[in-house]
Amino acid sequence: MELSTADSVDEALDELSRRGERCRVLAGGTDVMIQLARREIAPEHLLHVERLGELRAVETDGSTRLGALVTHRDLAVGRLGPGYAAVAESAATVGGLQTQVVGTIGGNVCNASPAADTLPALLVHDAEVTLRSVRGSRTVPLAEFVVGRRVTTRAPDELLTTITLGRPAPRTGDVYLKVGRRSAMEVAIVGLAARLTFDGTGVVTDARIAVASVGPRPLRSVGAETALVGGTGDAESVHAAAKALLQDVDPIDDVRGTADYRRRVIPGLLGRAVRVCAQRAEG
Amino acid sequence: MSVIGERVPRSDGRAKASGEAEYGVDHAEPDMIWGALVRSPVSSGRITRLDTAPALAMPGVHAVVTAADAPDTRAGWVLRDQRLFAADRVLYEGQPVAAVAADTLELAREAAAAVVLEIEPLPAVVDLDAALRPDAPLVHPDWESYVPALGPDADYPRHGNLAAESVSDPPGVDDAFARAHRVVTDEFVVQRQYQAYIEPKSAVGIYRDGRFTVHTAHQFPYNVRDRVSQFLDVRPSAVRIVGHTIGGGFGAKLDAALEPYAALLSKAARGRAVKLVNTRTEDLITCPSREGAITRVRSALDEDGTIIARELEVIADNGAYSGEMPWLASIALHCARGVYRAGPTRVTARLVYTNTAPTGAFRGVNGTYLYHAVERHMDHIAAELGVDRREYRLRHLFDDGEELLNGQVLTDAGILREGFEAIEAAAPWAKLEAERRPYRGIGIAAAWWLTNPMPGTAVVKLHEDGTAAVITAATDNGSGAVSMGVTQIVAERLGIPPSDVFVTLPDTDVAGFDAGSQGSRTTRIVGKASQIAADEVITKLKDVAAGLLEAAADDLEVADGTVRVKGAPGTSVPIAVVAATATNTVGPIQGTGSFVTPFPDFNPGCATGLMLPSFPTPTYHVHLAEVEVDPVTGTVQVLRYLVAQEVGAVISPDGTYGQVMGGVTQGIGYALHESLRIGEDGRYRERTLESYRLPLAGDVPRVEFFPLEHPDPDGPHGAKGVGEGPILLPAAVIANAVSDAIGRPLNNIPITPEEVLAALQTAELRNDEEHVR
Ligand SMILES: Cc1cc2nc3c(=O)[nH]c(=O)nc-3n(C[C@H](O)[C@H](O)[C@H](O)COP(=O)(O)OP(=O)(O)OC[C@H]3O[C@@H](n4cnc5c(N)ncnc54)[C@H](O)[C@@H]3O)c2cc1C
Repeated sequence: MELSTADSVDEALDELSRRGERCRVLAGGTDVMIQLARREIAPEHLLHVERLGELRAVETDGSTRLGALVTHRDLAVGRLGPGYAAVAESAATVGGLQTQVVGTIGGNVCNASPAADTLPALLVHDAEVTLRSVRGSRTVPLAEFVVGRRVTTRAPDELLTTITLGRPAPRTGDVYLKVGRRSAMEVAIVGLAARLTFDGTGVVTDARIAVASVGPRPLRSVGAETALVGGTGDAESVHAAAKALLQDVDPIDDVRGTADYRRRVIPGLLGRAVRVCAQRAEG
Repeated sequence: MSVIGERVPRSDGRAKASGEAEYGVDHAEPDMIWGALVRSPVSSGRITRLDTAPALAMPGVHAVVTAADAPDTRAGWVLRDQRLFAADRVLYEGQPVAAVAADTLELAREAAAAVVLEIEPLPAVVDLDAALRPDAPLVHPDWESYVPALGPDADYPRHGNLAAESVSDPPGVDDAFARAHRVVTDEFVVQRQYQAYIEPKSAVGIYRDGRFTVHTAHQFPYNVRDRVSQFLDVRPSAVRIVGHTIGGGFGAKLDAALEPYAALLSKAARGRAVKLVNTRTEDLITCPSREGAITRVRSALDEDGTIIARELEVIADNGAYSGEMPWLASIALHCARGVYRAGPTRVTARLVYTNTAPTGAFRGVNGTYLYHAVERHMDHIAAELGVDRREYRLRHLFDDGEELLNGQVLTDAGILREGFEAIEAAAPWAKLEAERRPYRGIGIAAAWWLTNPMPGTAVVKLHEDGTAAVITAATDNGSGAVSMGVTQIVAERLGIPPSDVFVTLPDTDVAGFDAGSQGSRTTRIVGKASQIAADEVITKLKDVAAGLLEAAADDLEVADGTVRVKGAPGTSVPIAVVAATATNTVGPIQGTGSFVTPFPDFNPGCATGLMLPSFPTPTYHVHLAEVEVDPVTGTVQVLRYLVAQEVGAVISPDGTYGQVMGGVTQGIGYALHESLRIGEDGRYRERTLESYRLPLAGDVPRVEFFPLEHPDPDGPHGAKGVGEGPILLPAAVIANAVSDAIGRPLNNIPITPEEVLAALQTAELRNDEEHVR
């Protein structure tokens, strides 16, 4: 196995175009190194992209754009500014400090784990991902990019460069809640992100709900969102939303938790998320 | 100035913090090669093919050994039921079938993978109740031919899958149940617990001049020596065990693991040093973890609610081989009533062979789940009677002079009441009850425990510069028992600073027998032996100094780095001068000490299979926890944890608190986080530290600790054992607190968020239904 380090995006794109499937992008390496050790992957070439400074940028004027190499730690300390609490909270739960200072948002997205913490948070913020190759550039909604368990629509020659988030409207609150058996260093048993916008009278006008670890890939539940809109976050609308959400998920039993537990936890978690969003929307 | 009870830097602290300390896993020898084990991938089966030729043919492979290359013998700590390699049948997943030695670790592992091993699977015995049924397949069809390590006369009750049994059936139990006003019954199920030390097991074996030397980081080097000698069929003195700094053990490094394989491989590789090291998964799945168990308790109550009789049955998982376990089975007798009077008590302890990794010692052996059962049961009884749980305990609490089921008399059990009072002063029970918030709960429990009595010895040698070396096979498994405790005790006696006392690492060729770092014994036993040795040094110092000071030896004292005339400190001579003078006149100064605590008197007829007959040097423990349950996730946060513990005397405040904090942390993990499940196929489900979840700093509150000091006349400065007690009760108090918080009994360990949430939601559903009606 060879290792090379790209000094510019163009150089990286050239490498990717030449080597295609035989090449594996290496960002923070917190997934790649483990997959190598477990012999789950056996690339001929590792292309180290961590030095591409331009992919570390965060722009918050106008739309919110962040480079693929922005680290979890950057996000956890609030580099995206107010309005993106869910993103900060989700990044703050990725492993421990050691993982967060090297692990990148782009890596979390491209690895496309069913339990990826930042994905629900990005989904509730209508994230779009921009991929570049020597052939050009394309921008697609995150929900269309991550299509299955560890499966994305990334072509072998593409590099994820930017993630673009929607701008939260006024009177919006968002949150990420993670269920684990201990207080940190957990792969999510369930992860849930919510973003709710309220009108002046406390009625929900816009809702986003997304979950992780309850199916092959993190996903939004439009059913749950619809059930919440028009309500006030009251028990009845939450109940209806939970019912819809449970219909959209397909949890399994695994070593971390049972499908039954995951189903049991979702309604309460959703209720808690709605309450936090309402509080944050006021503040 | 006394250094006893003072905070002193641990002698190994700097080296450990800086990375200079050489742990067993760091050890290397010149020309060393590497080994790897071929392990059974299934838990039960018959070996149909074992072909080592492909591995032997690989360049760089020095040796491949199997059962055919090892002595045809069985070994074991208590019972010789184990072969070095599986010969025809495999009895647990991870059991060694062959071993290879090669130039590099990677190559050794590749060669191990190249060994062809075919196994025809057989049904696995996993379920404890099923294992005892008459029609259950036998894990050891040849069980009858096995011989105890101490010879046939040391045999004990065992039969088929029943690896050991201890039964106590005093008169009056059935009568009491017949006239009982009320009977309360419970069943408790606990999982295994992995010791999860940071340093995986390793060993470097060297065969030279007809002797085996093994380097290892071990809690009990002399036990390794004996096991290697049994497995390799050589006399014990043909084996030398050299100890190294230990990265944690907690009981899992008390019996041999990789050492005999490293020794045999070195012989097969014509004397090249061979190093074996476990991967984390190998370590986890083959570790002698704390046994899973089922405990069934029944108590008979009279009309006042007083307990008048009890029955306790415990069925514990021995795994495929016995190790130390049969010796521990009778602990059930000592803990069956906890620390509360309960009338005549019938106790049945059964240890069961299964097709799973052998279980073994883990800090607080057997006690964690016995106290969990007894203390949960006490809460259940109090709830049935509608009385206060703490009050009910105090009503039955042991007092001074309590006679136990084995006839042992606890002269000082009244200390327990002091423990309850110490906790009460810091966390008044009535106040906690009054301030109860939803989803919060409290639990209280108490225990007694032993200080392991087994022998230890030390030589204290005075250098000509006035410093002292302590030569002992005792090990500091991280607790500070040697690096602070023994060091302080010798420094105190010789009147020199702790930094002038050096304690050797164990080497069985050099230091006398020591029973290892187990059962909270090292500070007390080795401390006492060292103190005796130091006293011999003092006598010799005074004799030589008497000549130098022209005074009678009896008029001298050793203090402040000098030998001086009592009452005239000005008339003194530095210890260094005395030591140097001695070397050239009467010869070098050293002293020897040995110590063992006798077993307290007991009634040998009280039970069958009474292998650990009584609890020497008892200590007393009271714990209280406050928890909060998250009603959405079912997870539990421990908000407050209090410990009142009888310690004899605090030698090292940091060491003592460290043990309390660490033991409670491990107990919280046992109660809430650490899941070690065995599937129906006999294989562990959790196989790495990703899924085997240890508690983190954020999961554990800072323990509020109240040491109770009642110096023991036989202990050095009054010291008793400290290290194990703190892990005995967290499962009990947390289970009681969580059950209190949600108003429903939780009787399994660990307490899972799944179980808590299901219990909460069932309760809510029931409340809703009642509401509708
Ligand atoms: C101890 C530990 C704990 C962890 N805990 C969590 C957790 O709690 N929650 C969680 O979600 N994850 C967790 N992870 C996983 C991991 O940290 C995250 O997925 C992280 O975001 C990956 O980022 P990275 O930069 O390290 O990716 P890498 O390992 O470098 O790459 C991951 C994948 O993405 C690809 N890739 C990376 N960047 C790009 C790019 N710009 N363009 C195209 N492809 C790219 C790589 O080829 C690879 O397939 C944990 C990992 C460890 C080691």
